Amino acid sequence: MGRRTNPARFVAVAAALTLGLAGCSESADTGGDGGSADESGPITVGAVLDITGAGASLGVPERQALELLAGQLQAEGGIDGREVELIIEDDQSTEDGAAQAMNKLVNEDEVDIVLGASRTGPSLAMRPIAEQAQIPMISLAANAAIVDGSEWVFKSAQNDRVVIERMIEYMAGQGWTTIGLARDASGFGEGVQEIFDEVGAEAGISVVAVERFAPDATDFTAQMVNLRDAAADVNVIWGIPPAAGLAQRAYAQLGITTPVMQSHGIGNQVFLDTAAESANGLVAPLGRLVVADQLPEDDPQREVISTFVDDYTAEYGEGPSTFAGHAYDGWQLAVDALREVGTDPQALRDHLEGVEDFVGISGTFTMTPEDHSGLTKDALVLVTVQDGEWTLLPDQGA
Amino acid sequence: MVDLLQLVFAGLSQGAVYALVAIGFVAIFTVSGVINLAQGEFAALGGLVAISAVGSGLPLLAAVVVAVATVAVVAVLMERLTIAPVKRMTTLVSLILTLGVSTGLKALMLLVYGPDAEGLTPINPGGFTVGGVSIRYQELWILAVAAVVSAAVYWFYERTLAGKALRACAEQPVAARLVGISLGRASLTAFLIAGCVGAIAGVMASPIYFTSWESGLTLGLKGFVAATLGGLVSVRGAVLGGLLLGVLENLTAGYVSTGLRDAVAFLLLIVVLVARPSGVFGRSAEARV
Repeated sequence: MGRRTNPARFVAVAAALTLGLAGCSESADTGGDGGSADESGPITVGAVLDITGAGASLGVPERQALELLAGQLQAEGGIDGREVELIIEDDQSTEDGAAQAMNKLVNEDEVDIVLGASRTGPSLAMRPIAEQAQIPMISLAANAAIVDGSEWVFKSAQNDRVVIERMIEYMAGQGWTTIGLARDASGFGEGVQEIFDEVGAEAGISVVAVERFAPDATDFTAQMVNLRDAAADVNVIWGIPPAAGLAQRAYAQLGITTPVMQSHGIGNQVFLDTAAESANGLVAPLGRLVVADQLPEDDPQREVISTFVDDYTAEYGEGPSTFAGHAYDGWQLAVDALREVGTDPQALRDHLEGVEDFVGISGTFTMTPEDHSGLTKDALVLVTVQDGEWTLLPDQGA
Repeated sequence: MVDLLQLVFAGLSQGAVYALVAIGFVAIFTVSGVINLAQGEFAALGGLVAISAVGSGLPLLAAVVVAVATVAVVAVLMERLTIAPVKRMTTLVSLILTLGVSTGLKALMLLVYGPDAEGLTPINPGGFTVGGVSIRYQELWILAVAAVVSAAVYWFYERTLAGKALRACAEQPVAARLVGISLGRASLTAFLIAGCVGAIAGVMASPIYFTSWESGLTLGLKGFVAATLGGLVSVRGAVLGGLLLGVLENLTAGYVSTGLRDAVAFLLLIVVLVARPSGVFGRSAEARV
């Protein structure tokens, strides 16, 4: 299924390119026809994912989703008769791994568009490379900093700000005013406290305690003890599985009864498995994908989501996570643009920036020059966990 | 006060896991002078084998036995294939060799078990609270098993003839051979012990701390630091070192900053290597064979 090109071919191609293009690499781009793109050869889509390391529970389903979609596109005969080649790179959940992979995709493989990375830190490491090489990139990660003021970078996951707006709305409805925050110490959790304070200011909600944990941490006793002492109205755990699940577990195990909210970083089975019964009753703003079967009939995303869930489940024997959904959206946005305007990078970028009412898995995208994320808080529903299942919260708090 | 006790207790159970890994380092180093950098991978492999055995329907106890046996076989194979053939083993050569094995094992685990971190089913799930300190049953199991295993290894090396013979190999290889001790067999036994202890560490840690193909790296590093506290030759030193490290880490995370948790081990390592290279707890061990 995977359209990974074999390494031996890379070496040969890279060597040929280095020799052939040594003298004219920079000037070749000015024709606006960047990279390898002649208009008849295969279209190449690069992807940088956290397939191993701390972000593996995100990157693996993302890879599966991309491989599934690439296979489907292949079966349909590609785009305008041109084959679409998908090249997936593993950044090992590290920033330098992502930068290396991005450099390889841009310089050696000369891809037409890049998807990834799975998490914020690696995505931020890729951003300057995309901007400099002027290649469109669609990140699958959350932090708004990835697309803040960017020209060539877009993203398919809900912005953390949008997520926090949704959470503050719910907190205000519950009459909570103080937040204890345990956040991921990497890029995903960066700036979260500030956004909570900023968005919450109007409702008089503020963060009173902050604890940090490494994305690959395994023991959370210290952080949770400190949260317990902070005695806030509500505690927020902001991380990705398995860390977010282990933190939830430690929380319950220390017998803390304060309500917990989690971020949109937990939308996969790994979280449910890791947190087990300790997850019961938490509230998190998640994409509609996890509650696909509970959506009302008239939900505009219902059809897209259920088709994807069925295809993915048929292929892999398990339902897709929200992260697979981010990959789906990134891929479809890319394919839609490639279909409309071909492989010219400037045209691709302009098309992505003009995307309007594009129905995806994580929401309905409308991009603008100021907003390269395209999703509002309507893209999220409040979800709780009951007996190991995601359940749509009856009170959406809005 | 409750917080302090909570942090110390959580630190002790984490430290007991470090201690078990550290015993593995000591078991091999005292016999052959080899520093086995794949010791952490023994633990990771033990956890992963047990998880997949439980996943395929084996009862927990049987899965643990399978895991320990598998890792023991891997350890023995490792000794036969990479350590035994080397004619002039120095500590440096051993570092390079075992680093290679560790990398290979990691790649293999990634290939076979995939990238996700998983936890083994605990022996009894849940826990209880005493005076505000919450305790998981698994933590008690870890402490108990660590106590039994370290006592057994200590007794074997310090109190039995066979154990003393093994240690003689490192201190006086020529003399040991003259009195009829087989160096090859001694080294093999040491790896067998290290494999079993490593697997037990991995199996015990897995329900709380989770196991993935790469969890051996941190465990190995922390275990190595703990072993160094005992000068790499003392089982008692390794156990005390592991517990101390676990508690210090948790206190640092609780009272100073969670970001510094992993730095504690390396600060400790530097301090010990500069101030007391022969180990803090293990001074007398060398003289008493």
